[in-house]
Amino acid sequence: MKRIANRQYLWIGAIFVVLALVPLFIDNNYYITILNQMVINMIVVFGLNFITGLTGQMNLGTAGIYAIGAYTSALLSKNFGISPWLTMMAAICAGFLLGRGLGYPSLKMKGVYLSLTTLAFTEIVRIFATNLIDITGGTQGINDIPRFAVGPVMLDTNTKYFYFILVVAVLVCLLSIRIVYSKWGREFRAVRDNADAIESLGLDIKKIKIRAFTLAAMYGTLGGALYAHFNSYITSLSFTTDLSINYVIILMVGGIGSILGNMVGAVVVTLLPELLRFLGDYYQITYCILVLISALFLPNGLVSIYGKITGLLNKGSSAEGGE
Amino acid sequence: MGSIIVQLIISGIAMGFIYALVGIEYTLIWNASGVLNFSHDKLITLGAYIFGGTYIVGMQLGFVEGILLSIVTVAVIGIIIAKVIFIPLRNLTMIYTIMATVMLGKIIVEAIRLYWGPVPFSVPGFLVGTVKINNIVISIANIVIIIAAAICVCALQLFLYKTKPGKAMRCVAQNRNASQIMGIDVKTVMIITIIISMVICCLIGILVSPLLNISTTMSNMIGLKGFAAGVIGGFGYLPGAIVGGLVIGIVENLASMVFPAVYKDIAAFVLLVAFLLVRPKGITGKTR
Repeated sequence: MKRIANRQYLWIGAIFVVLALVPLFIDNNYYITILNQMVINMIVVFGLNFITGLTGQMNLGTAGIYAIGAYTSALLSKNFGISPWLTMMAAICAGFLLGRGLGYPSLKMKGVYLSLTTLAFTEIVRIFATNLIDITGGTQGINDIPRFAVGPVMLDTNTKYFYFILVVAVLVCLLSIRIVYSKWGREFRAVRDNADAIESLGLDIKKIKIRAFTLAAMYGTLGGALYAHFNSYITSLSFTTDLSINYVIILMVGGIGSILGNMVGAVVVTLLPELLRFLGDYYQITYCILVLISALFLPNGLVSIYGKITGLLNKGSSAEGGE
Repeated sequence: MGSIIVQLIISGIAMGFIYALVGIEYTLIWNASGVLNFSHDKLITLGAYIFGGTYIVGMQLGFVEGILLSIVTVAVIGIIIAKVIFIPLRNLTMIYTIMATVMLGKIIVEAIRLYWGPVPFSVPGFLVGTVKINNIVISIANIVIIIAAAICVCALQLFLYKTKPGKAMRCVAQNRNASQIMGIDVKTVMIITIIISMVICCLIGILVSPLLNISTTMSNMIGLKGFAAGVIGGFGYLPGAIVGGLVIGIVENLASMVFPAVYKDIAAFVLLVAFLLVRPKGITGKTR
């Protein structure tokens, strides 16, 4: 077990190192933008992993959570001139309140209620963001959201910003690993695998689920805030249910419940539409069919392929050794 | 003032019946296979496109032939979807079933965009006009929706309680393993359920096409409010879906008198969260 865990850390480290090296070889601004988006996706999916991956409760409201983070940080820093460092903290606090407030009604009962309420929540956020034009700018959006400085370094280019969020992603990833292999993480997995056993041990399922959802919401709002300051522009048109679904796709394609899987998923799913772009009109439908196939035939995601291959190799070598 | 309230209530009842049908349609699949069908709003859109896009605008058929042919077409598609998607899904974890149906919905939308094109359109001359009784103006579309939905609900009840396949469906809904032991072919029952659900989706699509333009996003809100209707009435309980749908339809229309009309859609979701907080079993108090 420990060796598997160690190998996983090795891969996680390797992905971060590769990501850090990529901007040295690419100076196309578009690709750097995609890299930024990729790492932001990673942060959000680390959070989603707690509730949907480990605890097994479907959260279809990531776009709403993300939007709350983005709008909180953008509005506070732009209208009141507060430092983006503080507004990002405010966004995370908003995520905490959101997780508690939305998690309590939807998770106090067993069942699929969380997926319905979060889906509805995303719609509510979108309707308000579109129609409260005085505050959110509606579909016109908010522009000139300030970038900020780390000490003496102003994060004015996309490459500099990329390194900043990469550092944030590493920290968030370490925190996630710490949580996954702690008492909390074990409780989360136990809720998914055997809810009855948990209750018989005297633990409160409701509290565990709400904790997982709150963590997911805090990661989500952090991602949203990072996105707002990265893009300098947000509009209500981008926070649709499709965005929420995209995050679950990342989680599912990579491998549910595994941090390495989340990272692989974020890399693959962010790049896939770019790679499939040559299909023109047919790229969306191909993309959807690929994801559907992976849901039906590869339920443990891309990381399970690695295990299968090494399993086959080991089997092959042991068979050879047996002869 | 009074006549406005009556008008709002009547159009609320009409929309409520639509939500009730949505609630019924996904509850049937949920009961039969334990899959929450997140592609149902797209199936409604598909029904509207098959009816409006192919049979009426494309082939210039009459409305009655159009409706019948669309129902047949949708039933055939239902068999395919059941065999390819829903039957393999029935034993998977909830996350995969939800995602697979979501992706099915996206595939349907993309297919619609490629086949019928992205431009929204409307069905000319289908259920237009109004009826005036005293001071109350009611559109024909609303009257037809109420009548058609009521007929649909009654027919479904008769089917479920008086015919053998219907009884088998209720058995499977109660206990899948026990009904398998009793010699009910669960897979066939699932296929029948999905066909019925698809036909209801198609009818919803046809019924709302006079109210909304036919476009790929026409039924997003209807689909969500149908989910809310199911929860408010009592999740997994068919009469509950009808009660929930009517409550949402009437409340949201009356809410548009007090709040700006753009926030009308929020009423259903506020009700959803309020019910989950205060009475999670729903109005009827029965869940499965």
